[in-house]
Amino acid sequence: MTELERIMSAVSPRGVSRREMLRRIGIGAGGASMAGLLAACGVEGEAEPPAAEGKDPLSTAKVAGELNFANWPAYIDKAKGASPTLEQFEKATDIEVEYKEVINDNLSFYATIREPLASSQPVQWDLIVVTDWLIAKMADLGYLEELDHSKLPNFSKNAGAIYKDPTYDPDNAHSVPWQSGITGIAYNRELTGREITKTEDLFDPAFEGQVGMMTEMRDTMNLVILSMGINPEDATLEDARAAQEKLLKQREDGILRQYYGNDYVQPLAQGDLALCMAWSGDVLGKTLGSDSKVDFVVPEEGGMLWTDCMAIPQDAEHPVDALEMMNFVYRTDVAAQMTAWINYISPVPKAKPILAGAKDSYTRQVADSPLVFPSKDMESRLHSYKNLDPEEEEEWNDLFNEVIEG
Amino acid sequence: MAAASASRRRPKREWILPTYTGLVIAYLLIPIVVMMLFGFNDYPGKFNFVWEGFTLDHYRNLFEIPELTQALRNSLVIAAITSVVATTLGTLIALALTRFSFHGRSGLNLFIFIPMATPEIVLGVSLLSMFVAIGFARGFPTVLIAHIMFSISYVVVTVKARTSGFDRSLEDAARDLGADGWTTFWTVTFPLILPGIAAGGLLAFVLSFDDYVVTAFNAGATITFPLWIYGASRFGIPAQVNVMATLIFLLGVAYVVISLLRERGRSAAPDPSEA
Amino acid sequence: MALGTQDRSAPAPPEPPPDRAGGGRKGSKSRKGLAPYLLTLPGVAWLVAFFAAPLGFMFLFTFYDGTIDIGYSFTSDWPQTYFEAFTTYDTQIIRSVIYALIVTVATLLISFPMMYWIAMKGGRRKNLFVLLMLLPFFTPFLIRTLAWQLVLSDQGIFLGTLKDIGLLSADFKLLASPLAVISGMTYNFLPFMALPLYVALEKLDSSLLDAAADLYSSKREAFLKVTLPLTLPGVFAGSLLTFIPSVGDFIDAEILGNPNTTMIGSIIRRQLLVNQDYPTGAALSFLLIAGILVAVFLYARALGTEELTG
Repeated sequence: MTELERIMSAVSPRGVSRREMLRRIGIGAGGASMAGLLAACGVEGEAEPPAAEGKDPLSTAKVAGELNFANWPAYIDKAKGASPTLEQFEKATDIEVEYKEVINDNLSFYATIREPLASSQPVQWDLIVVTDWLIAKMADLGYLEELDHSKLPNFSKNAGAIYKDPTYDPDNAHSVPWQSGITGIAYNRELTGREITKTEDLFDPAFEGQVGMMTEMRDTMNLVILSMGINPEDATLEDARAAQEKLLKQREDGILRQYYGNDYVQPLAQGDLALCMAWSGDVLGKTLGSDSKVDFVVPEEGGMLWTDCMAIPQDAEHPVDALEMMNFVYRTDVAAQMTAWINYISPVPKAKPILAGAKDSYTRQVADSPLVFPSKDMESRLHSYKNLDPEEEEEWNDLFNEVIEG
Repeated sequence: MAAASASRRRPKREWILPTYTGLVIAYLLIPIVVMMLFGFNDYPGKFNFVWEGFTLDHYRNLFEIPELTQALRNSLVIAAITSVVATTLGTLIALALTRFSFHGRSGLNLFIFIPMATPEIVLGVSLLSMFVAIGFARGFPTVLIAHIMFSISYVVVTVKARTSGFDRSLEDAARDLGADGWTTFWTVTFPLILPGIAAGGLLAFVLSFDDYVVTAFNAGATITFPLWIYGASRFGIPAQVNVMATLIFLLGVAYVVISLLRERGRSAAPDPSEA
Repeated sequence: MALGTQDRSAPAPPEPPPDRAGGGRKGSKSRKGLAPYLLTLPGVAWLVAFFAAPLGFMFLFTFYDGTIDIGYSFTSDWPQTYFEAFTTYDTQIIRSVIYALIVTVATLLISFPMMYWIAMKGGRRKNLFVLLMLLPFFTPFLIRTLAWQLVLSDQGIFLGTLKDIGLLSADFKLLASPLAVISGMTYNFLPFMALPLYVALEKLDSSLLDAAADLYSSKREAFLKVTLPLTLPGVFAGSLLTFIPSVGDFIDAEILGNPNTTMIGSIIRRQLLVNQDYPTGAALSFLLIAGILVAVFLYARALGTEELTG
């Protein structure tokens, strides 16, 4: 217990920066985790010592021939159950890929790897795909390997300008984009009876009980702040409070039906929701092709652009194999092949002409869609999430929780 | 007189309970019918919840998604092992609790309820923390450990519903006839509590087969059926899931039907009371 | 009920193998003394190692303050954590308990007559009937609940039809309401009530009921004085298996409800996953566990079951 108390009391009170706190503890990230707490209580860890010392640095390490890749479901091209991209990769590199679709949402996945990372234990993944803000957070905590860009020539050659040196990860030090997407509004024309153009329409009393919002704090808060004419990246706590007011009123007036995680598509398709916040790729797959009643729109006030990025968790077993994969998906033909299936935004603009020359009309439609290859005009209407430091994140979470926890 | 009036009324009332039972089973089947139906849906995009037309493609391409097949296989194996182990451990506890008075018995009685009362997310998070702390890699074994852990209490409570208020006279009779402890147990006690054990085993199987929250934390790279489905729900659950669940359901129905037919064949001789 | 160490009939179900090291000196008496411990040992050891120990560490968290990113610090003011957790979320806690109570009563009312019929009149087919009743629950929970969402949809096959023929106003809805949440939970928890009921009902001796029919003037009286008391252990077990997990359930409320049906399980999940506020999440969990244990204890008393107090 004394050991425990030493660690816990060394941990700073709220308000002191994490780096400062870690410096004071002098034991690294493990001390703040629950596992650290357990270990301090005398549960002897049989954990291997942090492998970093014994291992080659990333620049000299060799390809191991194995890659454990964690991704979101339906986030890679498929044909007859297999992924052509993965098959081509295995053929080209002789690396065997264990591809698992285990990520359902950022925080639930993060919760399963946070403990081992905080205790400097390797996680079972060599390559993970998470959203930009989580990349920023994990990089800040030292949970991600630094990338050796000399092994990523395709990225520097083919990645779009806005994907290089992003604010969430300066110099792409820890991550390169997998796909991007837009948070906007989806609506059912038959139920709204009119065209939806603005975020403000989500607050229209005419749609009482037929409006859906998202449980993801960042998506909902940033989009609402944007609708108040404020660039989310400059938003203050006051702006967040104003957004909270607006959301509380939406709920109290009965305009809101429910907050949705990733399950809004069914109520939208079956006519329970007239309009709701939505991710571009979800609805695109629905609207293109068949004569659906559902439309996706980037609101006049602007939409949110988020990027899911590939990164290598600290002490991953096969980091060089992961770099190979990162480089491979930036081949223009591979990027085109993936985007034709995924329908989100490809970080490789050069994939567009390839898709535009495709034989089937659906693929050509994908190439033409400004939601897949945003035009300059579209790009100007898209904004990034505000970067929240841990204290701000707690404050924003508290505000948002009041809204969704009835 | 009373008996006469009762038996006079009986023919009138006889139909109520069976009809009621039929209605409840029909109610239980509503979502299953919807699920089966959408296994035949010929939907064009990723999303399978608007009826578009009939197809058998999903049956033909049942194993087209290797991940899904693997997930289903994992879940069935995990549920089967969980059911056997949890039922064994739980039944032993239930027997001890109802047949013996021992030091700590009432404490144990209460302790059994705590895992059930603990929110699943807390079970998942705290177990993960422990596995990390002792450096135990997450995977198939940790899922198994977790499932057995949260199933034991359900088995104990179910088996106790059978063993408590248990009539001892049969066991006494067996002993008086010279049977030893083991023989008495296997020939008298065990058959008497078997329905409780079977029910506990079924509950454990269903609990394990359907668990998402605890599994998500402790599965590592192992994928189970619910895990895969929750992930897929973001992008629309493919109809193959409906087909697999339909086949599991039909397998059960087939078992019931075949048993009924065989029994009909066997019991030409009237034997109303069960063994 | 017989708890008997006192009478010689107290059986030692699977009798432990003779203790060679201890010698035969103590005889059957000592085996009897050891038997319950040996019986409970494997299961209890499992629960202690994989449930109690991790939960104990979770408990430690309630004495600390902070989040995983900001860091934790011991707080002497830890009762405040519990107090704040309760006062902030009392609405959701009370709501969860009320929903769980309704669900428990509803599952009991729905399944008792059915299980009674199956157990009494099912003959040798009764096990098959039980299996038939249980089969829907081999379908994944999410698929079942999404199917309900489809059936109960505002414009769906059920409400849509009633609206078309004018029996319901066009803006009537069933989903996104407490009723939908409670119905969904009732469906999903049905087997947890039905199975223990069946297990208890099935052991009723029909000759006992015949005797009762002879003794008492009416079937109703026979039911009340014989059947019901003898099935109480089943009612007790079923109620607990339904009530306890349904207090902590949250997926039904998230899929079928609205923000005003949020249950405490959702709150705990968000505290742990989104806010990463382990102290509050843990404090809420322990309040919930304590509350449930008290409820179980009172219920056992009220029902006169010696199970717990014995």
